[in-house]
Parts: sequence; C-alpha cells; structure tokens
Amino acid sequence: MPGGRLKILRVAAAMIVFSGLTAAFVDFRGAVPVAVGHELASIQLVPSLVALVAGTGLAVAALVVLGVTLLVGRVYCSAVCPLGIFQDLVTRVAGWIRGSRRLLPYRPARTWLRQVFFWGVVVAVAAGGAGLTLSLADPYSIFGRLMSDLVRPVVTLANNAVVGIGTALGSEALYRVAPPWPGVGVLAVTAAMGVLLVGLAAWRGRIYCNTFCPVGTLLGLVADRSALRLSLNKSACRKCGDCLQVCKAQCIDLRAGTIDSSRCVACYNCIGACPEQGIGYRWRWSRSPQAKVAPPAARAETAVASPPRRALLAATAASLVAVSGAGRLLAATVGGPALALKGSRAICPPGAGGVDRFLDRCTACHLCVSACPTHVLQPAFLEYGLAGLLRPRLDYRAAFCNFDCRKCAEVCPDGAIDLLALAQKQVTRIGVAELVVDKCIVKTKGTDCAACSEHCPTKAVETVPFGDNLRLPQLNPDWCIGCGACEYACPAQPTKAITVVGRLVHDQVVRRVQEKATDPRRGGAFPF
Amino acid sequence: MNTRREFLKTGLALGAAVSLGRWPAPAAAEDRASGAPPRSRLAAVRDGTRAAMVDKALEALGGIGAFVQAGQTVCLKPNIGWDAPPERGANTHPELVGHLVRRCLEAGAKSVSVFDNPCDQWQLTYEHSGIEKAARDAGARVVNGKDESLYREVEIPGGVKLKRALVHSLVLDSDVLLNVPVLKHHSGTGMTAAMKNLMGVVWDRGFYHQNNLHQAIADFLTLRRPTLNVLDAYHPMVRNGPRGRTAADLIEMRTLLVSTDPVALDAAAAKLLGLEPAKVAYIRIADEMKLGTMDLTQVEVLRFSLA
Repeated sequence: MPGGRLKILRVAAAMIVFSGLTAAFVDFRGAVPVAVGHELASIQLVPSLVALVAGTGLAVAALVVLGVTLLVGRVYCSAVCPLGIFQDLVTRVAGWIRGSRRLLPYRPARTWLRQVFFWGVVVAVAAGGAGLTLSLADPYSIFGRLMSDLVRPVVTLANNAVVGIGTALGSEALYRVAPPWPGVGVLAVTAAMGVLLVGLAAWRGRIYCNTFCPVGTLLGLVADRSALRLSLNKSACRKCGDCLQVCKAQCIDLRAGTIDSSRCVACYNCIGACPEQGIGYRWRWSRSPQAKVAPPAARAETAVASPPRRALLAATAASLVAVSGAGRLLAATVGGPALALKGSRAICPPGAGGVDRFLDRCTACHLCVSACPTHVLQPAFLEYGLAGLLRPRLDYRAAFCNFDCRKCAEVCPDGAIDLLALAQKQVTRIGVAELVVDKCIVKTKGTDCAACSEHCPTKAVETVPFGDNLRLPQLNPDWCIGCGACEYACPAQPTKAITVVGRLVHDQVVRRVQEKATDPRRGGAFPF
Repeated sequence: MNTRREFLKTGLALGAAVSLGRWPAPAAAEDRASGAPPRSRLAAVRDGTRAAMVDKALEALGGIGAFVQAGQTVCLKPNIGWDAPPERGANTHPELVGHLVRRCLEAGAKSVSVFDNPCDQWQLTYEHSGIEKAARDAGARVVNGKDESLYREVEIPGGVKLKRALVHSLVLDSDVLLNVPVLKHHSGTGMTAAMKNLMGVVWDRGFYHQNNLHQAIADFLTLRRPTLNVLDAYHPMVRNGPRGRTAADLIEMRTLLVSTDPVALDAAAAKLLGLEPAKVAYIRIADEMKLGTMDLTQVEVLRFSLA
C-alpha cells in the first residue's frame, strides 16, 4: 500500500482514539457516553495487561497490540497511544510556533538509558509495586491525568466564560460548573509530568517514547523482530534528507541506510516524504533481527539479542522472581501500603474490593475521576500513603457517593473497580460511619438538624425523640455502607459529628427489608 | 398605595417596604383592604389524577388567571431534591409540574422557569426525577440550581435567625412564585411540604441547619411568600423521609392541596401525615410570626372528591 494511504489510516485511527479519550477525560458535565472512555481505554496495552492479572479481561487487546507490533512494528505508539499522539501534536504546534519544523537528525539509540528505565519498571512491578510503578510509567495513564487534572478544569473555566452567551440567547444548554481542580500536591505532580513531556516533545519529538516509556521500549523490543519493517532502498536513496525532516523518532540512519525498528513509531511520514519512493515495508522476518542489515557499529549501539544479552535475560528473570519474593516478604513484615494506611482515612470506591487490592491494580488514569458525577472521587496525594499516590479516593468533604451510581466501575479499564450489580453495590461496605452525638448540633445548639439522617440512603442513621420535641440522630452501623452522605451533609463545626472510617477490605451489609408503610391519617381522607 | 400600607400594618411582612415593593402584594392583602379579617382558603382534592385534581383546585380558587397574569414571569419551584425516579415519591411528580407549566403558559405567562438546589448531584436529580423532561416538554426553562453566580445576597426583612441569604435570582426576580412541593416524612423536621420546600431556593442550606432549622424555615417567608402553593400528596412518603429507601415507604393517598397560605397548607399536610401541626416547630413558629395560620378552623377549606 502506498505510504500516503497508510498515513491516512494512521492519522484517522489516531484522531478517533485521541478525540474520544480526550472527550471522556475532559468531560465536565457527564455528556460523553461511558462506553467511549471505557472502550478506548480498554484497548490500551497496560490497562489490558492489568485486567488480565485482575482476572477481569483476557488481555485480548494486549495480545493484539503485541501481535500487530510483531507483524508491522510500533503502530500502537502512533495510532493508539494517546500520549504518543499528544506528543505528535505538541511537536507540530511547536513547529508552527517556531515557524518551521525542526530537523531532527539521526541519533543513536540511548540503549543503556532505555534498558535501565524498562527493567527498573519490571523489577518494581515484580517487587510488588505494580500499582505505583504503572501509575507513574503507563503512558495512557499519564495522558489521562494530564487531561483530567489539568485540561478539564481549564475547559470548565472556558465553558463558564461563555455561558452568558447561551443565556443571552435564551438557552439553558450551557451552564456553569465548578472547576474541578485537584489538590495542590496532585496538581504539582501532574503538572511536572506535563511540563516534562511537552518540553521533550517540543525539543526532540518522540524522545520520551524512545527513552523513558516502558511501553515504547517493550514494543521496541518486539518491533525489532517484526516481520514487516520500514526500510530504506539503498540503491534509490540519494541521501537528500527529506525523510529526516518529517521523522520524529530520529531513527533513520542515512549513512548506514537503515531504520531502527525499535524506535520507529510507524507514523509513515517518511514514506510520503521520500521523492524516490525509496522507503516502504519490506519482509524482514528473522530470528536474529538486524543481523543482516545493520553494520557492526549500529549493532553495538542497539544492543539487541546476542549471547550475552540472552544470559542477561535469564539472569534478570531469575532475579525478578527473587525480588518479587523479597518485595512481598518486606511488604508482609513491614506492612507496606497497609502500614501507611493506619490512621489514614482514605476510602476507595465500591467494587475495588479493598484498599490493597485497589492500589495494586489501579494505574491512576483518572478516567473514573472525570466520570464521577458527584466528584466525590478525587485523586489522592498522600492520603493512602506514598504507595497510593495519585490513586482516586472518596473525598467526603467534596461530595458523597451516589447510591444508584456505578460510573467509576463502568469506565474503569483495568479491573481495579469491579462492575458490581447495582443491588450488590448498594450493600457493599467501603467504610462505616462513626457518630459522636456530643458534637451534634441537636445537642450542642438544642435545635433540630438531622442532615445526616436526611441524606442517608440506607437509613442507617435515623432519628429518635430527644429533649423538648427534638430529634437526635442515631446510628445503626449494621446498615451503613460508608457512602459519606452523612459526613458531607453534617453541618457541625469545627469538626463534623459524623464521619466515615474506611475499611481496608470491603464487605457487605444485609439489605434491610421493610413492610409496606401504613396510612398515618387519623380521621378520614381529609383529617382537617 | 393604600392596600400596601394596610398590608404592612398587619405585620405580615415585618417591614422592608423596599424589598416588598418589587412584588405584587399577596392576594390575602387585597382582602384586608376591605377591613374584613383575612381568611386563608385551602382547596383539598382527592381521588383524581394529579392534573384533574390541580385543575379542580385552581377552579375553586378562581382559576389560574387569579394567580398568573398575561406577560408575567413565573418561577415554579418543585421539590427536586433527590436522585430518585417518580415512583419513589422523593420529588414532586413530573406530571404535576408539566401540567402546571402548561396552565401558566395558557394563562399568558411570559416565561415559566423551573429549578431546585438539590441535595443529590443536580444533573442526575433533574434527569431521574423526570422533571427536567416534563417541564421542558411543557415549554418551561429548566435552570441550573447549582450555579452560585445565579444567587444574590439579600436581607431577610423579618428574619430572626436567617437575616441574610444567597437566594436564587429566579425567586427574587420572577413576578409569580409557584411553590410545588411533595408531601414527605422528614427525619429532622418531622415533615416537609410547602415551607420546607422553599429551603431549596437558598444557596447555603447548611446555615439553616446550624442556626435553628425551624426558625430559619419560617424566617424565609418574610422575604417572599409564594403566590400559590400546590402540594403533591398523591403518594406521600410516610417514613424514611425525606430521601426514602423504596416505594414501600409510600402510601397511596391520591390527594392534592392548594392554598396561597403556606402555613395553612402545611398544617393540613401535617394532618395528612397524622401529625399535630403545632408539634411541627416551623409551622408553629410561622403561625406565631403571623406568616399564615395553622389553625385550620380559621381557614376556609374547600373539599372535593373526584371519585
């Protein structure tokens, strides 16, 4: 297929994925169907792999991605990975601002750095730190946070600025929404990541993907063995450099006449740029990649499979098992994340099963944070402890968990939040309220209140007669599911009279069954 | 203006002539001009559809035209407090809201706006209550109640505890305020009907809870008495209110009450729930502040059965 058409396909796929995911993450008024975010997130490599481990998916998407990569190279990085597409946009915009596209000449791969980052991630995951490591390293999740934490509040502000126009036209289609800024700590982490990525992309195109990104490195390892590889036709090449003008991966070595498949992100820009039609897919299936094409110098630089490397792989595998065991032993003895949670009140959503399980599986993409209609789901900074950095938690100062809602589970792509049946979700206990009646307004001020009981969806908080014609809240913890409605509503100051303490492991309450209510009227249909 | 001076003398509004000047005096004030003692009227209808019952009640009280004139702007305030479907009875029924919107527009209202400041997430609540669709289909504007910029701080002229509040501009600026609550048990105040429903037009409900809930509920009436109160008691929630758990919390009563006097209406509503009006503190306080009457023997009650 001619390069032009391949590029059109790539750009079309990228636009669908990017616009769909951006819409889902930036959605500040619940307008984007849940399926859009969920489906597009579920085809991402890391969420798909996590879902396999979580038992909620068969990693079909991951297998397809790996299979396609083995066939035609890193198509994923240009057409499916939202962070990759985002960086392409940054590079393009930076070019417009500069007035010309910067020529990125060939650079040898930073193999050593790549390996360090990749194996660092692998070792950290094996050592039991999967959640935090993948949160920081998964490109899809990084993209999600940029959009959810940074872009969404800004878009909300922009929306609020133009609401007046709609109102002037007599329409209520536009309305103001409180800008959903995350806390300062989360904002700082995400913003730092954003600055780094934008800076690197503006400076050197896909340098992040080809140096730090573990998904890029993994797919690079696979692409290095791919059956079809983009290659230079050495006899046609006049070394004009037009391909270099459009290459964002700095992977075309004109001198050697090679394209480094481990770094080529299959954007197909070069195919169309070559005036000699000298670049195209060639069948290159071989067990020992590049051995026949790469000159010795390039081989040394790319450091692909060779006997010493095989030994390294074996040694790594062995050490991973050891590290994994040691990590888990350490977590068990020292307490790991659980230790950090003692005395902490961070509460994870219903369907997460429990805090440790949640922190193991969640990659902090914040799709649920964007989807949560009440905004009770907020990214944590250190509320879960360091191990829970950036993972969503229920913040009952902001809102409470809607009894009839399962949006977070519906969008979650990696099985960190199971989609429970609604009836089951409504009896799932994520925490239990604690009532200190001595702080209650009814007692301290001698006036009725019962905001807690009013909001309680299970009526675990009821009211009983108290003093002179007053009603005092009374808690039955057996029916409490920890949704936080009471805590949110409690007007007592400076500290609330009713607060929810999270449960490290979620369990279930018994659904309360009540007889049909009876007519309270005394004295006929119109007792007045 | 004679009627207004008279009106003020009765102490009904406890001062603040400036604020009051912006709205037509309540219908009750017109009666007072004749010197006759004011007598609240209450229409009670049962055993019909909501639409038929409200039509009957309006007919008995002089027709919708007695309350909504051509060219006026109407703010219709239902109870849209909870993310619950109509069959749970946690909110005013959408059928009643839609019907009233149509009646107002038929009477020549320039516009009818519907809003509430819900307890649950507002978009979900507007949608699942069925009110957003019913009101829009009937021709109303459905306005965001969770936009603080739409609220204005005003003085509550006769407020004892609630002296200032951020009140939704629709309530401050509309010619007609149509209060359309639903009857429910309430774990804090005993019950909720007309007066308690008006808590949903202020921004900060927490203030009410922190500063004598009953007094604050009564205080609000000194800012603005609704032009008319229409109570949906078709299937009132008689326990686990105001949110309710299941439809088992409701009983079928097929009743609807209409009155210009929110205190009289709430007193009758209390009786429907088997409560003594004087035991519901905000009803007693409002009566003592002469914001209406809870003594139903002093109210002209018009009873109808459509069965």
